[in-house]
Amino acid sequence: MREPVVAIAGCGAVSAVGCGLESLLNALRSHLLGLGPSEKFSSPRFQSNLVGAAPRDQDDEDPAWLLAREALQQAVGAAKTIKIPPQKIGLILSTTKANIEALERVSAGRPCSKAALRHLQSNLLAEDLAKEFGIRGPVQAVSVACVSGLVALSQGVKLIRRGAADAVFVVGVDCLSEFVVAGFTALKAIDPAGCRPFDAARSGLSPGEAGAAIMLVRDDLTSPTGITLRGYGGSNDANHLTGPSRDGSGLARAIRLALDSAKLSPEEIDFVHAHGTGTSYNDTMESLALKTIFGEACPPVSGAKGMLGHTLGAAGVIETIICTLAMKEKFLPGTLGLTNPAEGAPKSLVRRPRAADRLKNVLKLNTGFGGMNGALILSHE
Amino acid sequence: MQVSTHELKSKIIESLKLQDITPDQIDDDAPLFGTGLGLDSIDALELVVLLEKDYGIVIKDIEEGRPAFRSVKTLADFIAAKRPQ
Amino acid sequence: MNEVSIFAASVVNPADLAATHLVRRLGQRFGRLDLQSQLALLAVESLELDFSGWARDRIGICLATGTGSLSTDVSFWQGWNGVGGPSPTLFAYTLPSAAIGEIAIHYKLTGPNLCFVGDDQIVLPEAFDLIRRGEADGCVCIFSEVVSVELAKIIPATPAASAWAIFLKRGDGLHKLREFDRDMKALCTLIFQIKSAV
Repeated sequence: MREPVVAIAGCGAVSAVGCGLESLLNALRSHLLGLGPSEKFSSPRFQSNLVGAAPRDQDDEDPAWLLAREALQQAVGAAKTIKIPPQKIGLILSTTKANIEALERVSAGRPCSKAALRHLQSNLLAEDLAKEFGIRGPVQAVSVACVSGLVALSQGVKLIRRGAADAVFVVGVDCLSEFVVAGFTALKAIDPAGCRPFDAARSGLSPGEAGAAIMLVRDDLTSPTGITLRGYGGSNDANHLTGPSRDGSGLARAIRLALDSAKLSPEEIDFVHAHGTGTSYNDTMESLALKTIFGEACPPVSGAKGMLGHTLGAAGVIETIICTLAMKEKFLPGTLGLTNPAEGAPKSLVRRPRAADRLKNVLKLNTGFGGMNGALILSHE
Repeated sequence: MQVSTHELKSKIIESLKLQDITPDQIDDDAPLFGTGLGLDSIDALELVVLLEKDYGIVIKDIEEGRPAFRSVKTLADFIAAKRPQ
Repeated sequence: MNEVSIFAASVVNPADLAATHLVRRLGQRFGRLDLQSQLALLAVESLELDFSGWARDRIGICLATGTGSLSTDVSFWQGWNGVGGPSPTLFAYTLPSAAIGEIAIHYKLTGPNLCFVGDDQIVLPEAFDLIRRGEADGCVCIFSEVVSVELAKIIPATPAASAWAIFLKRGDGLHKLREFDRDMKALCTLIFQIKSAV
């Protein structure tokens, strides 16, 4: 019996470029910079105050709930014509730090509600999101560093394929916090000039925040977008905790596994959406992996972190949404922050957005601390 | 004022939580990174914190610290030269 | 062949970190890992597995932690106000999946990884699915629970520190995995009893 095909039924997003898919699409088309200076990170203890902040009160006590709930609300609204019993709808949360804000507040002796404190724990945040929207099927909280989003999406596909659910809401969220910016400062991983993916002068990432949600559904139920999750591959570099494999072989393996599972060859990929954090190591490694798979025939490549910042647990989800918008509207997003491509970077990097004649198969990449690599293939029928 | 290499080695062992090694087993001139003690980039950042915490030396740019971090001896010399009096 | 079995199981707690013969095998840098990663790595080492016949890219790692990396998060945040700032090393462990990186590096396991926050019931079914779907031939399964005294002041949890590990593989083993086998802690006890009886 043929395994069910899983399609995308609806999405929602809130990020540095605004609230809603319309804002995200407009930002992509107009090449809008979402990064900006934030008062909250202007102290010299932070490497830079340039961040990708969502349009929310930066002093809110439960931003993880705020952003996740908003995105999920949008996705639920977008897919309301699909009728599935609540017990057959699942929820998978992808986050690295959940509501870490609560830890900062409690440590500083500031007021913190029970709910905000509860949402410090990813599994409880996931439970509450499911409850809020009457989702009664399986609930999982995935946390695999910056590759969480793609892993969560692949988990959603698995739940549907093995019949544990007919639909799954995959929600990604991570928030700007002193904790995270302090951490990246300690690692000296931030580029004070703003993230410049694949640029010769790049020197680090820009912290960002986002809430993003994708409704996955069995394709024999209504699927308005006609975009399916066709393949996935995951691997580990087994090299160093915060430095990717020197030769990109781990990521290349993940891509190959994704292509095999999608039954596609590299020539059939029309566009690659990169992880592109803007750090020296990541972008070099990613360039090598793309060279290994595509040789000199690399399809167009772009990255969103110069626009939104690195949204950690939300990255895989919101960047997949960017791919779906590009596929539906038939355009290639640009790569904000990129001026002069580094030596060894793919020649097919897209700097400014432009129309695309064919976007049938798209490859989305993410990697994470701990040597983890993920590759997802989306297809538009 | 010169800092004793023995004291520095103890601090390095403690700060980087190295197991099964005593200061006497670390050679003054042996490379700290890559080969020798085999420290990595996170250790380098941890040593930057150590320099500020224990010796009051602030390193703004990791590249500035690179030649100093070559061996225990070069690090001791760097501290002697840079520490606030 | 659709059978998946438990090949080995172990349980460790902080007292076991004094077992120097095992800890020594884990290398000179073991000391820099946070407690959660140390217990997870020690639990895997206690499985006494020999990977030499295996394709390392066909071995998965499936980890779940009860409270994510919160105990380490609290330590990191408490160091925030110190001179020189917080520890960069500690920040690297403020991720629930940090132990996966350590395990992958130590045993050179390059297969797929999964990491969840919540209870241990999720680990075995997901690892079983990885093997059943052909993504892996074996899976190192770990559940760790570390609640520091400091964390217990913040969230309603009791201080605790333990890690359970199970190696699942396709084919025969000590115990064939059945559909309702989800309780890692109970299964580790069962395996210990089976091995003691031999």
